[in-house]
Amino acid sequence: MNDDINTEASSLDDSAQSQRLLLESAHRLFGDHCDKALLDSAERGEFAAELASKLAEYGFHRLAERESGFALADVFALLKVAGYHALPVPLAEWMLANRWLDAEADDAVLTSMGQRRESAVVDVPWGQQAQACLAVTQDGVLFKTEAGTWTSSKNSAGEPYDALHDSELVAVGCSEQPYELLALSRCAMAVGAMQRLLEMVVEQVTMREQFGRPLARFQVIQHAVAGVAAEVAVAGKAHDGALAFLNTDRQRDEIAIAKARIGEATGIVTDTVHQLFGAMGFTHEHILHHYTRRLWVWREDFGNEQYWQQVLGSSLCARGADQVWPFLATVR
Amino acid sequence: MLSFDPATLPESSEQLRPVIREFIATNLPAGHRRNSDFTSGHSPEFSSALGAAGWLGMTIPERYGGGGRGFFDRYVVTEELLAAGAPVGAHWISDRQTAPLLLGHGTQAQREFYLPLICAGTCYFSIGMSEPNAGSDLAAIRTTAERVDGGWLVNGTKLWTTGAHLNHYLMTLVRTSPPSENRHAGMSQLIIDLNAQGVHVRPIDSMTGNSEFNEVVFTDVLVPDSALVGVEGNGWQQVTSELGYERSGPERFLSTFRVFLELVRLVGHNPQGDQAAAVGRLASHLLSLRRMSLSVAGMLQDGKMPNVEAALVKDLGNRFEKLSLEIARLAAPIDCDREVFDQVLTDSLLLSPSFSLRGGTSEILRGMIARGLGLR
Repeated sequence: MNDDINTEASSLDDSAQSQRLLLESAHRLFGDHCDKALLDSAERGEFAAELASKLAEYGFHRLAERESGFALADVFALLKVAGYHALPVPLAEWMLANRWLDAEADDAVLTSMGQRRESAVVDVPWGQQAQACLAVTQDGVLFKTEAGTWTSSKNSAGEPYDALHDSELVAVGCSEQPYELLALSRCAMAVGAMQRLLEMVVEQVTMREQFGRPLARFQVIQHAVAGVAAEVAVAGKAHDGALAFLNTDRQRDEIAIAKARIGEATGIVTDTVHQLFGAMGFTHEHILHHYTRRLWVWREDFGNEQYWQQVLGSSLCARGADQVWPFLATVR
Repeated sequence: MLSFDPATLPESSEQLRPVIREFIATNLPAGHRRNSDFTSGHSPEFSSALGAAGWLGMTIPERYGGGGRGFFDRYVVTEELLAAGAPVGAHWISDRQTAPLLLGHGTQAQREFYLPLICAGTCYFSIGMSEPNAGSDLAAIRTTAERVDGGWLVNGTKLWTTGAHLNHYLMTLVRTSPPSENRHAGMSQLIIDLNAQGVHVRPIDSMTGNSEFNEVVFTDVLVPDSALVGVEGNGWQQVTSELGYERSGPERFLSTFRVFLELVRLVGHNPQGDQAAAVGRLASHLLSLRRMSLSVAGMLQDGKMPNVEAALVKDLGNRFEKLSLEIARLAAPIDCDREVFDQVLTDSLLLSPSFSLRGGTSEILRGMIARGLGLR
């Protein structure tokens, strides 16, 4: 596991230490559960109930609550670990729902979240297994849902992304921007998944031999893996940058940078990694596609590259050419 | 695996911005054709004004005429100069590379002589590394320095030597011992006066229509003992120890910045969706790269040797610089006054093949990254 995930964030020694412990225990728990068999059964529609109850036992589902003692940066660091293990539980939705519903919620129940599209709520991860469901809109309004009719649907990673119809939607006050933070959750998960892919591909080209030598001995392979490493590194930095601007007037611009750039990195990384794994990586038996297919879902979720590029570009253009450099130069 | 530590510019460095912006606004030579590429303006007048104002040799101790400041202060000043498209070509190499090299490896006499001049912006160096048969394969150099009474006799040819027709000195990598089993042994660095007898500098026209680089031929050039930098035979180590400084700076992703800026001016305050997306895409790349570059600057400040990370920043940065021209030219509106945009686009496009050649080709950089990943 890359140091980058383990030693992330906070400047205060105490909070850095508590984040380190949090991420270590998450790695152990997720690593123990998220094997090929679990990912396959999740894809057959069987919810990982035992793992979900473990998450609750560890208190991960309450981590984003304001009283948890953890910061949002810790929440997103945990989501990187979730992405690294392709965790088949909607942890991002669960944590953020408990944050936004605050005391109102019975936080022990699994809450998922989807996007409002006209009268329906779509793309709700594990919607029919969740006991509660929230809905968000692109302009950042949050709704609670009531009972309704569920229809089953799957995303291209084979995970349930269900739809809820005929439910009454009740707007819930929220002091944050749900759509933006959900977009950032996908950035975090994608960074974790891409770090896993980098490790996998380094191992693959080192072990796999063709023409009597390891693939890693071929310069063309070395350069392809270097390209993956570069995209993974830039994705990690883009994500960290957005964290530095949470709850500032630049949050939206910075999340736009992260979602747009990480979406681009996703295309390059998944393409190269599949090429390097050859036909083996194209089989269902291989674990590779559990990561690459999720990455393709996450880059579309809550606004793809084009959406966020427009958000950012419009914001920059509105400032005018003479303000472009002053804006860029104030990056943290 | 690679690591990019978090880094934040300190407030004290940020406070330099308004001052350097004011300086640039006041001192930019009249009629200067602004371009963010660090090679595209050679102005002794501007460089010496910069030096006089304390903006060169910023990390060099004050006793040698430097600013005695940290890397982040220098970072802010260099990126402001590039973003403004100021003519930085005269002092660029001596300020970025020669000064830290002399501080680290030079003799006391060399430090006392050259550093104050470099910090004043009046002494310009080129770097003599590549040769006709030693490009990326730097260890294949054949220029020799033979020990003679009182110094060295240098013979050979350097090629692609940027600025040698305009600058004063050449930091020259030479063979002081014949090639042996250890290809990296037996090389040394010598300071050669470009006006010395036996030095012939021939500018080479490039595809841009200018002469950015040169062929430099040495015929029995007598170089005094005092011109040896560092330890005889240690040249390779000295050269490679500086790579972090050379490869991760803002000049590795800002070369086309004026094109981006002029694109924003062209599309105006209310661009069409695809134009806004083009601007946003450019900004998302640029800012992510800047964070990585700052991270490397922070690691250098902390005394680390992030050579692989620096190689990665340069490779990504050069790719972005080329991509940025493709994005900008396709997004630019047609029916409007494009004079400035077309000028910077053309200048940048003509320079663009050099981005991923100079200072280490993409192929060399990716090889370094692969080594960092344990693949070779």
